[in-house]
Amino acid sequence: MMSPADLARRAAPVFACIGLLAIWQIASLALKNDSFPTAIEAIRAIPDILGDKEALINILASLRRMAIGFGVAVLFSIPLGLLMGRSRAVAAFFNPLLMIIYPVPKAALMPIIMLWLGVGDITKTLVIFLGVSLPVIYHSFEGAKAVEEKMLWSGAAMGLSPLQRLVRIVLPAALPEILTGCRTGLVLALITMITSEMIARQSGAGNILFNALDMGQYDTVFAMIIIVGAMGICLDAAFERIRARLVRWSEPQFDLPLSFS
Amino acid sequence: MKVVPSRSSEWVRPVTPQKPASAIIEIDHVSQVFQTSSRRDHLALSDISLTIEERAFVSILGPSGCGKSTLLYIVGGFVSPTSGAAKMKGKAITGPGPDRGPVFQEFALFPWKTVFGNVMYGPRQQGVRTAEAEAQSLALIEMVGLKGYENFYPKELSGGMKQRVALARTLAYHPEVLLMDEPFGALDAHTRTRLQNDLLNIWERDRKTVLFVTHSVDEAVFLSDKVVMMSKSPGRIRQVIDIDLPRPRRRSELLLDARYQEYVVDIERMFDESDEAGSPP
Repeated sequence: MMSPADLARRAAPVFACIGLLAIWQIASLALKNDSFPTAIEAIRAIPDILGDKEALINILASLRRMAIGFGVAVLFSIPLGLLMGRSRAVAAFFNPLLMIIYPVPKAALMPIIMLWLGVGDITKTLVIFLGVSLPVIYHSFEGAKAVEEKMLWSGAAMGLSPLQRLVRIVLPAALPEILTGCRTGLVLALITMITSEMIARQSGAGNILFNALDMGQYDTVFAMIIIVGAMGICLDAAFERIRARLVRWSEPQFDLPLSFS
Repeated sequence: MKVVPSRSSEWVRPVTPQKPASAIIEIDHVSQVFQTSSRRDHLALSDISLTIEERAFVSILGPSGCGKSTLLYIVGGFVSPTSGAAKMKGKAITGPGPDRGPVFQEFALFPWKTVFGNVMYGPRQQGVRTAEAEAQSLALIEMVGLKGYENFYPKELSGGMKQRVALARTLAYHPEVLLMDEPFGALDAHTRTRLQNDLLNIWERDRKTVLFVTHSVDEAVFLSDKVVMMSKSPGRIRQVIDIDLPRPRRRSELLLDARYQEYVVDIERMFDESDEAGSPP
C-alpha cells in the first residue's frame, strides 16, 4: 500500500512531463510560428513515424549501433579503468593519452574517422564507443583507486592472487562508482548516436530528424525529438533499476529519485 | 600505591602446564625506512628482533607513530622490510598467506557480502566444501555473538558488530597466527571492553598465537602473556615484559588485583619517563 506521499513522489515525473507539454502547447499557440508546431501536433505525428517501416528500421539501426558501441566500450573500459586504479605503471601510461582525448568533442573526430572508415556503421559505432569509454574509464579508475588497501590485504591473506583480487574484490568494491560512470556513458551513447547520424546522414533516428528539418516537416522533427527523448528516459530508468539492484549493499545516497524508475 | 586486598587465594589453581614453548614467528634485525612526502627518509623501525612463541598472546604497545602497525604488516607479509627478515615457522615471510590472519582497526569487511558471505569467503577460497564451510561459518557467527545477523550487510551493523564479523571471517580460514592491528581502536569504551572479554573467551578455546597491536596499556596488560613496549622515532623495542597473571582472566577480578595494577602503573611510568627525557637514545 502506497502512502499519499509515496504516490505523489512517484507521480511527480509524470506531472513534470504534462506540465512541460502544457507550456509547449501554450507557447506554440501564442507564437503562431510555422517552425514551432504545437505539442499536440507533434504527438500526433509520432504514430506515423513508428508505423512507417522505413523509419522503424532506421530507429532500430540506431539502437543497434548504440548497443554495440556502449557494450564494447563498457567491456573495454571497466578492466582498463580498474587496472589504472590499481597500477601506477598502467595509470602513468594511459593518463596522458586520456587527458588529450577527454576534452575533444568526439563528434569533432567524425570527419577524420569518416575519411578513413566511411559513413557506415563502423564510423558511427566507433564514435559512440569513444563517447562512452571516457566516463566509464574515469569512474572505474576512481572507484578502483578508492578501494581500501586493508580489504585487499584481507583477500591476500585468504590466498587470493592479484588477478583474483582485481576481479573479486576491486571490481565489486568499485561497482557503485563504475555503474555511475556507465549511467553517464549511456546518456552519452544516445547523444553521440544522434550526433553521428547528423554528421554522417545515411540512416538512423538522427537522419530522420534532419531530413524532416530539411523538408520543413516540423511536426516530424518535434515528434522525433520526443521519441529520442523518451528512448533516453526509458533506457536510463531501466539502467537505474539494474544499478540499484546490483549495489543495494552500498549506502543509499538520495531519498529523491533521480530517474523515472 | 594503594594496598588492595589480594584475590590471589582464588587463583591457587595451577597455571595450565605449558609444553616447552617453540618459536612460531621470528623477527630478525628488521628495519623499515619510509620516504616522507618531503622526500626525506624516515626510519620507522630500527633493528627490531623479536621471537614470538607458539600459543602466546603478545601485544605490541607503543605511542602512535612508533611503527608498531608496520611491524605487524611485515609479519603479515603485506609490507616488505627494508632490511632484516621475518620468519614464520622457520620459513622467510615473502607475502601474505592464510597461516597469518589479519584483523584491522578499519574492519575491512567486504561491503557487498552479507555477514555470512564475509565469513564464508575464506573457506570457499581455500576450497572447503560448501556444506562444511556453511556449518563452520554459522558456528563462528554464533561464537562471536551474531546469530540472527547472518543476512545483514556490513553497512547495517555497528562498529562493534563489524569487528566481530571481521574476527569470525579471519578465524574461518584457521590461521595459525592472528594479527590484530588495533582492532578495538575505533570502538567506544563500553564496546571495547566487551570485545576484549569476548576475544579472551574465544582465545581460551584454542589458544592461537596472537600478535596484538595497541596503544592502550590496560588492554595490553589485560589480554597478553607478553607486552612488547616500543618507543618512537625511530621505532625500537624498549622492553619486553612478561605478564604473569593467571588465566582465565576476568576483568572484574583483575581490576582489583595488585599485580595487574602494578603492571599497568609500571608500564605507564616507563612511557612517561621516555616522554620527559625526549627521544630515547
